[in-house]
Amino acid sequence: MRTARNRRALTTLRVITLIVGAVVMVTPFVYMLSTSFKPQAYVLQNPPQFIPDPFTLNNYVQAWTTQDFARYAMNSVIVAVVSTAVSILISSMMAYAFARFEFRGRELLFRILLIGLMVPAMMLIIPQFVLAKYFGLLDSLPGLIVFYVAGSLALNTFLLRGFFAALPAELDQAMQVDGANAWTRYWRLAIPLARPALATATIFTFLASWDEFAWALTIINSPGNRTLPIAIQLFQGQNATQWGLVFAASVIAVIPVIVVYLIFQRHFVQGLTSGAVKG
Amino acid sequence: MVVLNERRGAAPAAPRRPAASPDRRRSRRRRGWLTPYLFMLPGVALFGVFILFPIVQALQMSLYDWNILRGAASDFIGLDNYVRAFTDDRFWLSLSNSGIYMVLTVPPQIVLGLAVAMLLRSKAPAQPLFRVLFYLPVVTSWVVVSLLFKYLFADQGLVNFALGDVLHITAGDTSWLSGRWTGLLAICALGVWKGVGWSMMIFLAALQGVPQSLEEAASMDGANWWQRFRVVTLPAIWPAMLFVIVMLVIGGFNVFTSVLLMTAGGPGGQTEVLLTYMYQQAFSNLDFGYGSALAVILTVIVFIISAVQLRVFRDRGES
Amino acid sequence: MRHSRFALAGALTVAGALILSGCSSSPSAGTTDAPVTLTFWGTYGNGGNSAQTTVLENELIPAFEKANPGITVDYVDMPYDGLKQKLTTSAAGGELPDLVRSDIGWVAQFAQLGVFKQLDGTMPGFEDLSKAVYPGTLVTTSWNGHYYGLPLDTNTRVLISNQKALSAAGMTAPPATFDEMRAMASKLSGTGVSAFADSGLNAWNVMPWIWSAGGDITNADFTKSTGYLDSDKSVAGIQLLVDLYKEGAIPNLITGNTGATSTSDGLPSGSYATVLDGPWMKAIWQGQYPDFAPVYSPVPAGAGGSISVVGGESIVVSEATQHADAAYKFVEFTQSEDYQLGMAGTGQMTVKPEFADKQAAIDPSFKTFSTQLETARARLPIPQASQVDTILNTELVPAFTGSVTVKDALTSAAKQIDVLLAAKK
Repeated sequence: MRTARNRRALTTLRVITLIVGAVVMVTPFVYMLSTSFKPQAYVLQNPPQFIPDPFTLNNYVQAWTTQDFARYAMNSVIVAVVSTAVSILISSMMAYAFARFEFRGRELLFRILLIGLMVPAMMLIIPQFVLAKYFGLLDSLPGLIVFYVAGSLALNTFLLRGFFAALPAELDQAMQVDGANAWTRYWRLAIPLARPALATATIFTFLASWDEFAWALTIINSPGNRTLPIAIQLFQGQNATQWGLVFAASVIAVIPVIVVYLIFQRHFVQGLTSGAVKG
Repeated sequence: MVVLNERRGAAPAAPRRPAASPDRRRSRRRRGWLTPYLFMLPGVALFGVFILFPIVQALQMSLYDWNILRGAASDFIGLDNYVRAFTDDRFWLSLSNSGIYMVLTVPPQIVLGLAVAMLLRSKAPAQPLFRVLFYLPVVTSWVVVSLLFKYLFADQGLVNFALGDVLHITAGDTSWLSGRWTGLLAICALGVWKGVGWSMMIFLAALQGVPQSLEEAASMDGANWWQRFRVVTLPAIWPAMLFVIVMLVIGGFNVFTSVLLMTAGGPGGQTEVLLTYMYQQAFSNLDFGYGSALAVILTVIVFIISAVQLRVFRDRGES
Repeated sequence: MRHSRFALAGALTVAGALILSGCSSSPSAGTTDAPVTLTFWGTYGNGGNSAQTTVLENELIPAFEKANPGITVDYVDMPYDGLKQKLTTSAAGGELPDLVRSDIGWVAQFAQLGVFKQLDGTMPGFEDLSKAVYPGTLVTTSWNGHYYGLPLDTNTRVLISNQKALSAAGMTAPPATFDEMRAMASKLSGTGVSAFADSGLNAWNVMPWIWSAGGDITNADFTKSTGYLDSDKSVAGIQLLVDLYKEGAIPNLITGNTGATSTSDGLPSGSYATVLDGPWMKAIWQGQYPDFAPVYSPVPAGAGGSISVVGGESIVVSEATQHADAAYKFVEFTQSEDYQLGMAGTGQMTVKPEFADKQAAIDPSFKTFSTQLETARARLPIPQASQVDTILNTELVPAFTGSVTVKDALTSAAKQIDVLLAAKK
């Protein structure tokens, strides 16, 4: 139907569109990167200056050395990895139940879960602080993890439920006829098939736990328990903020999120090749 | 989405095993009855204790002239905080600003996110690289991008430079952040830019479930791309679409950091949104009762909109 | 209704105090033997500036601990933007530190809630210490006739000028009066240089003009705004700004255009001839505009003289502390010459006039500020101070853009502030 030339023109058009889009998307990131290499005097120039001149590595050195940055990064890694793993496991179980079973109270539970997404988190901070105190979770990494997991459940369940529901029911029924119990069907069938969705949820949850500031600020007192967002916020001042420092610290903090994205994004493609979905 | 499950026969029928004894059958059925609850248990327990219980407490707070100090007595004032909100001009202004933000940011994020996902879906040169690039705004912190957009939209910023000196559309002297409408427009531009990568990711994942054989078949039948998209692709990604719409509406009403850093709600409160107003009441004026009431009102509004969406779009997904 | 609540809160406090004193009356719980750790929250290190935390942690706190064996001070640095939120949640959860370096604007608010301890009548030597600080700074720690802290460091706003812009207007010295300000503005008209710039219409921004014009925001005991904020004198202070704004001599930065050139950039680059700002700007300009030589002078005088506004931080003791006596010792220590001048060396101005000369020896640019501080006044020491700012901003923006008169705007603001003041009691 289409000539090869037409096809090539279309591909070119597509690539050009993508390049224009990518430039628009990337510009602010580049600006953050370039600012992180500028001395304070050149930071907030108008219009923005993209190539740092003069160039300095000082911000990185200072960000890394004035505070116990390595320790905070480690705390952030622990909190984000554990929160993400636990949250994905628990919410995928919930999502599977929502998508594959008929049970009393299902719709009500789902509605309540949705409400959890809608309430501004800021207003829950006081009751949650009292709870954390009651459970002895103040000023500890588990205190962050428990609330990050609880806070991400609604979103992940909502996201995964849609994907589980979209999986062909025939496969599920076939396994059931073969005598597989619900756990096996969930673990062996639904989880592998929903990999693109799980990868998405993993990336979002990791990012959310990694970036969270308000709750960490609220319950963490000891410098030894700080996470990266608090450390970055400490560079912001009342009268003067050393933006070069803030941006250098932010660049350091963004790298792990990009790495996680790179690791998991291939699952978006893998879904294509796993033949089962296409049935 | 709700109906989708049922349509696809989500609930598996109990397997028939004539050989099983009545006893065994009963125990199996009882276990079958219990199974979904066992799957739900850990999540529901965590959610109930750490999210739902605090929500109930926030709801309770909204009925008091709440004294934050532990152990101090608070006056029960019934619905006074709600009455106050409905007679508060600033509440209405901030609510309408949040609504405007939602309306101006949600459709572009869906359309652009889906478009980028479609472009990145089939094989294109340097595809993984593009994916990362489009993902960058999502991972860059709100603080950083808000500051940057503030500089882009400054009186002497790049936007004025581009519109005035390069394109000659305007005189290039617009004070974007000094008025309600232009200020909101700048904030919305940031919202769309930051959000496209997010919806793109969900659509990318959803598109993996679309059977390409079907699309190819439709193509053979002479369907143009729009027909293929409408008949094959869209129904297949409908649950994801519904998720994106609902989440973006919720996110739209919850816009906060960008407003705080770009205009601080100014000038004279003209660009205040519901969450900045709520934050000011709660953490600046320490009026948690009123702040909670605003949060409850916001939740109810968003819940109604989401419920309507789920109903309307569910029907559309069916047809 | 509020009465009953406070009665109850008071009763609870008394009951709590009784329980506490009952506990501590046991012989072993003396103040001498048991080692005590005081937790101290502050924002000294904010902005990535480690100079102040270094002095505090390496010199001042060790000196205090040496002089007071058995007391350890654990200083925890908090992000500036988060400290108030953290104090709020901690108060709600009953998890407060012993000592806080609080923004002066929060003291009345937390005092009203019972979070900070009343110091007059409870802390030994408080009266003498309170008499030694600038009177304007002490007012910031007061609420309802009592004091809930001591000023820790202070600052104020003075007129800072760009000499090149002054010369362009044919002036050898910065404008010293309202009239000279008007004269300079007309000289500068058409040059593209704004005579004056400021970044908002909060009390911090507008009170120097109102006070200098001889006006005020309320009466002396903070019970009435109508008749004060809308007086002819107060109107004259704002009218100066509005007139200059309408002539184009003040940019719309003042009405909240966050996209306009900031004062910290506009002054050194010569777009703005004068601004009102604090002592911290010197260090910022040294980094960003090393060639710029700021000229410091008092706030231009009107009918009421040259009166500026007090800023800074206070040291407060939390009501929840178990170690009030030790905490009082540290509060007293913060008023010592060692502490005050140690911090002055890092850019924190002393709250005591007796150290002003030694401070000027450390850094001569403090001189104008400490002179201005002698007459500088505090913003309203009421819990609703942040609401006052909202009211001023909302009402004054239309006066600048021309839809209402200054008199009407201030009358409307005064009525709303009256309501807040009535609620205070």
